[in-house]
Formats: sequence, structure tokens, C-alpha cells
Amino acid sequence: MNIPRVFNKKNRILLSELTKTDFKIRYQGSVLGYLWALLRPLMMFAILYIVFAKLLRIGNDIPHYPVYLLCGTTMWSFFTECTSQGIQAIVSRGDLIRKISFPKYIVVVSATLTAVINMLINVGVIIIFALINHVEFSPMCLLIIPAIIELYLLSLGIAFLLGSINVKYRDITSIWDVIIQALFYAVPIIYPITMVANTSPLAAKIILLNPISQTIQDIRYGLITQETITTWNFLNSPLALIPILITITILVFGALVFRKKSKFFAEEV
Amino acid sequence: MKRKLGTRSEIITDGDVAISVKDLHKSFNLPTEKSSSLKQVIFNRLRGVKGYRRQKVLKGLNFKIKKGEFIGIVGRNGSGKSTLLKILAGIYYPEKGEIIIDGNLVPFIELGVGFNPELTGRENVYLNGALLGFSNEEMDAMYNDIWEFAELKDFQDQKLKNYSSGMQVRLAFSIAIRAQGDILLLDEVLAVGDAAFQQKCNNYFSKLRNDNQTVILVTHSMENVRKFCTRAILIENGEITKDGDPNEVANAYTKLWD
Repeated sequence: MNIPRVFNKKNRILLSELTKTDFKIRYQGSVLGYLWALLRPLMMFAILYIVFAKLLRIGNDIPHYPVYLLCGTTMWSFFTECTSQGIQAIVSRGDLIRKISFPKYIVVVSATLTAVINMLINVGVIIIFALINHVEFSPMCLLIIPAIIELYLLSLGIAFLLGSINVKYRDITSIWDVIIQALFYAVPIIYPITMVANTSPLAAKIILLNPISQTIQDIRYGLITQETITTWNFLNSPLALIPILITITILVFGALVFRKKSKFFAEEV
Repeated sequence: MKRKLGTRSEIITDGDVAISVKDLHKSFNLPTEKSSSLKQVIFNRLRGVKGYRRQKVLKGLNFKIKKGEFIGIVGRNGSGKSTLLKILAGIYYPEKGEIIIDGNLVPFIELGVGFNPELTGRENVYLNGALLGFSNEEMDAMYNDIWEFAELKDFQDQKLKNYSSGMQVRLAFSIAIRAQGDILLLDEVLAVGDAAFQQKCNNYFSKLRNDNQTVILVTHSMENVRKFCTRAILIENGEITKDGDPNEVANAYTKLWD
């Protein structure tokens, strides 16, 4: 796969047309339309905020906790949307794959780009929330850019890997739903990582080796408060590179598996 | 532009030849029972059952298509002609053998690929155009002609689901005939529509024939084979049983039922 061909003009047009279609279709026939891209994550945030921050009183010691929580839920929604849409992309676009010849990765990337658009809109909301909450922005907020890119590449790698297996074994979709549920509690979204670190530093270290935790904590560190525990300031050793290595490994392995299997998608889907 | 599919290595540079196919084989794994779930796969492994059987669809095809030929490919359902077309189009991969394609090949396995009922006619035209490999500028330039030809100008901002099926075909056809390629692959795509529409299809075929466009047409209509093709190929059970004069091939095809 040589890079100039991967991003040639024809493929770029196809990618943008498919992404536009995905985005238009998603909210067809709903009264509020595109607004749902904003409302859904905000409602999820509201529920979690009421249950965990107000009723269970978690996170009262963290500055700007609502924004901190919103950051986590937004990035989590992005990860789940990206992976679930990406994994199903080949199967749901089976009609195209059976009838025309084009690079199959376009379908997966276009499915994830819808999630990227939603996420970017929501990052805008986070920033507005942060301003209302009097969060002070520092140049460190630029840290969110590499962190978001890392999270996206991780999601893409998972989508390539599991998406190509899903063509033959549709069980993957259901299995991934369960894994997502489990992962939600393995990532410090609703609970602050300090809570874990106080009782078991080892458990906190293991949690922070997960690239999803690492990126979410980095984003909180950059955007909200530098009191945030991150992988690198908590582990303080070369071990902090592990999440990045995991991301690269999944992406490369996923892309290789996808390339090998994509030859036969048209026959199997 | 030369494109090569398959395993063998030597490339013949014969200026006349548009497509060269050598010893082309293709098999599919057909599931013998529902094996698309993990449970069934594990079950089958434990019992030592494969869960599928190998079906040979193409058994060593050899032919060359010269530039400017209008080739008809005929055969009964399940003879392998659509599989052949899909391999030529790059949708399926050849299992064994070699295919050399000299030139830009534009396949139409179906009209209106990617048409979405929830989108407007306008949006569908751009989507379908992108799938056929047109750039946005090219689409802008031919946009009005497409609607003019389809005679559907008043419907361009209606959703496609509000079109009748005939209207959808007309729109898809109007986009498809804009495609410019050195080689056109047509799979039975033009067998739909009313009499007036059939007339337009015939005019289109005649034009292709007069322009010496290289065309490969898969069809069941012996009338079209006799009228337009310069050569025809009969495929039976994955093998070429007749290759040559369209009238003789059409006769051989009709005799399959006698």
C-alpha cells in the first residue's frame, strides 16, 4: 500500500461523499436532526453527573469536576462510536463492496469520520463549558491534539482488526458491546483516578497503562487542571510509553490483517 | 495504464489486446450449514467437519479481447459469467491464472450502486458519481445533462424514495452513460425500463458500437447479441464452450434447451 495512491484524488472524493452520506442518513427523519449529535452526549453526561457527582458525591475534591466529567464522557462516546461504527462498516456497506471495486479501508474510515465530526462539535461544547466554569487555559491545552489523534488511531486500529473478522463472524459486534461495557469501568471516567490511587497505587498504574485512560487523562490535564494524574506523571518511568506502544501495535496489526482479509470481503460479506 | 491481476509474471505487450485472460480459475467456499456464527464454527471444529464445500465456478478460462471489440458473454444462470465479470472488474480476486488489462476499465455490475432512498436526487447523483470515479468538477459540468437526459428535472430535490422504480433506473442510467473508459463492462444492467427507455439503451449501444468502444456485455438477450456484438463467448459450467461469431454462439445458446 503506497501512500500517494491511498490518498489519491478519486479516493478522497469517495471518502468525503461516503462520510457526508453517513452523516446525513444518521439523523434523517428526526425532528431535531443534527442537534442530536450534541444532545446525546450531553444527556449521557447529565445522567452520570446526577448519579455520581450529586447522589454518590464522587469527585467533590476535583476542581471543575463537571467539565472534568464531561471531558471523560465525550471522549468515551467518541471511542465507542468510532469503534462500533467502524467494526460494522464493511458489513453495512456490503452492497457497495459486492458491486464496485475500490479500496475497502475507505468504508471504515468514512464510518469513523462521522464520529470524529461529532467529537469535534462536542469539544467545542467542552470549551464553552470550561469558560463558563472559569477554567484557566494554558498553552498546555494544545496537548489535547496529540491525545485525540492517539485515541482516534487506536479506535481505527480496533475497527480495522475487528471489522475484518466481523465480516465472517458476526458475533464480533455483540462481543464488542460487552467489552465496551466492561472497559467503561476500567477507565477513569465516572470515578477520579485519585480514588483508586489512594487505596491501591498498583491498580491505578494498571488502569493508566490503558491507552484510553492515558489519552483521557492527558486531555483533562491539558484542558482543565494540571493537578490531573496522568500516565507519565504517575508512573514516572519509561513504562509510561506502554499505552503508545499498545496503540501503534493495534493500528499496525489491524491494518495488516485488514489488508490481507480485504481481498475476500466481496465474496464473504 | 496496464493492470495485472493474478500470479504469473510475464507481461505481453501486444498493442491490440485490451484484455488477456489465461487459465483463470475461481472457487468459492459454500457453507453447507449455517457457519457464520462462532458457536457453529467451534462445533464444527470439534466434530471435525469443515462446514463448507468448495465449489469450482471457473475452470481455466482462456481468451483475449481486442481493442474495439463488442463482446457478448452468454450462458445459463450459474454458469460463471457474472463471476468472470466481477473478477475483471477487480471485485473478486482470481484464485489462479493471469489477467492483463490494458486501459481504464469501467464496470457496471448494477445501475445506481449506492443509491440511498433517504437522500435527494441531487445528493444521489453526486454520491453515485463519486462511486463511478468522477470528480466533483466533472459532476458539476455534466449535472444538467444528466437530468435533461433522464427527463426528471423537476424531481432533483425530491428524496429518492419518492421516485418510481422506473424513474430511479432512468436517473441511474443517465449517470452511467457519462462514464468514459477504454473498456466498459456491462452486466445485464440495461434489461429494465419501458419501451421508450429500451429505445434509449439501444441508441446507446449503437453509439458504442459505431465509436469502436471496447465493450463486454453479459446478457441473456440473444437479440442484443446478434444486433450489437462483434463476437460472443458461451460459458457452460465454468468453461468456454464456444467463442466466435455472435450468430453461431446465439444459436448454440438457444440449443441448450433443446
